[in-house]
Amino acid sequence: MTRNRLQGLATLAACCAIALVVLFPIYWIAMTAILPTEIMLSRNPPLLPPLDRVSLAAYPEIFARKPILTWLANSVIVALGTLAVAIVAAAMAGYSLSRYRTKAQQAMGFGLLASKMLPGSLIIIPFFILFSKVGLIETKTGVVLANAAIAVPFATWLLKGFFDAIPRELEQAAMIDGCNEWQAFRHIVLPLARPGLAASATYVAIVTWADLVFARTLMSKPENWLMTVGLQSFMGEYLVEWSALMAAATVSLLPMLILFFLLEPFLVKGMTQGSLAN
Amino acid sequence: MRAYFRRRRQTFIAYGLLSPAFLMVAGLIVYPLYTVFATSLREGRAPNIARLDRLPLGFGNFLRALGDEQVWHSAAVTLFYAAGTIVPSFAIGLGIALLLNRDFPGRRYVRSLMLLPWAVPGVVAAIAFLWMFDASYGVVNSVLRRLGLVTADIAWFVDGDTALYAVLLPTIWKCFPFFTLTLLAALQSVPQALYEAARIDGAGSAAEFRYVTWPGIRSAAVLAVILQTLWVVKDFDLVFATTGGGPSRATQTLSMFVYEEAFQFFRMGYASAVGVLMLFVCAGLAFVAMRWGKQEGQ
Repeated sequence: MTRNRLQGLATLAACCAIALVVLFPIYWIAMTAILPTEIMLSRNPPLLPPLDRVSLAAYPEIFARKPILTWLANSVIVALGTLAVAIVAAAMAGYSLSRYRTKAQQAMGFGLLASKMLPGSLIIIPFFILFSKVGLIETKTGVVLANAAIAVPFATWLLKGFFDAIPRELEQAAMIDGCNEWQAFRHIVLPLARPGLAASATYVAIVTWADLVFARTLMSKPENWLMTVGLQSFMGEYLVEWSALMAAATVSLLPMLILFFLLEPFLVKGMTQGSLAN
Repeated sequence: MRAYFRRRRQTFIAYGLLSPAFLMVAGLIVYPLYTVFATSLREGRAPNIARLDRLPLGFGNFLRALGDEQVWHSAAVTLFYAAGTIVPSFAIGLGIALLLNRDFPGRRYVRSLMLLPWAVPGVVAAIAFLWMFDASYGVVNSVLRRLGLVTADIAWFVDGDTALYAVLLPTIWKCFPFFTLTLLAALQSVPQALYEAARIDGAGSAAEFRYVTWPGIRSAAVLAVILQTLWVVKDFDLVFATTGGGPSRATQTLSMFVYEEAFQFFRMGYASAVGVLMLFVCAGLAFVAMRWGKQEGQ
């Protein structure tokens, strides 16, 4: 008992030491954002923040100087749009692949691998050509479709694993009670698959939020930029203002960190089920 | 007769449910792929996309790509970048997964923290590392100077000699959580009874890993390596946002090369041709790796 406890504490200590290194870049972003420039812009910046100098002055400044709120709103709209499109399509497809044996199984497997193999820099060429022809350049719809297309195969595979774990007998019982297939799916299976929906939504949200290539190439007007494109535009300036940049970076980072921290258990569970299914 | 209609109805539902995803994959992956192939046969420049169809057809782009020194240079950079990312990320990812697989207090929160870099957008990771590795004010140079390891200010991302090593770091940082996640999932599916049996047989921890753990996670490991290698080869957010392929092409991976050819010089045909070649090489390697993974497993 005590030996196990001791071992557990030793593991915890080792993990904490590693986490310190792993999380240092995030810590350093936050440090730079909340300390005045003259402290951080030094040959020997302090590794721990002098608490009396902490200030949030960089935030009102970046909100005033750059259209951060517009970029943030654009990012949120694109992420929500992609989530809606991708999760609905992936839930239906994942359910179909889980419950019915069709020739589509293999095609979907191929689609998954193909979508993993396509370089963003390659797929963006046809997207650009296609969207130029149909007038989707400079629209959020274009970016949503591009992101959703890349995310759907993996989300489908993740959800299939969750549907596989739900016994078929539940739907069969519901159908004996007079539900049709759609009602059984909608009212019985989907509520049970909520952890799966959370896992795939986390995946889609994180990937879409991070997208730079599609957003940058398909939308060139600054008022259409997403947060990531806006952040990158800081770098092109003659003199990089690090504390302003890091303050903006925390704005982009925080929503995803919170989302990930809350929903990570579902993701791990999803990966476990997926790997067992294979 | 009734059974026949029932079957038809089942097929109809099966495909009906699949259709939205199928349409997306067909319309936004297969059709674009076709467009890339078609475009790769168009020779010349096309600043105006609508005029692309009027360029002459031919295999010239492919021939030119195979003889292009810059393409070979980028291929070498890509190879170094992929190997330099995957090997350390796998080692770190596996090490952390083994630690997290043990039982200890607060495991759930430690696990979330360890995987956090995966949720960080590539651009944010890029600017964080650029700032940490800044020549004059970067914290890394400051710490190295204080420890007496260096005397000069190293411009990690700007110097042609160090840039290719520097871009590895944010990539490894973004990459290892995926290995931790998949390997941890595989580790948790290894039956506990096997470990007990090994212990009864007097196996040490090295033998235990060799004969129990590794066979249990091998196929997941192979799949994760394939997927992550493809990700590193195709993704260029991090290179794009840190060095942009510079200085003087030192970090220009193939993905970066394709993007520049297409959207800076508007040689859509040439860019597509290089991309298609890349795709063939990746598909071939993935196929071989998967075959190898299956054979070894039996």
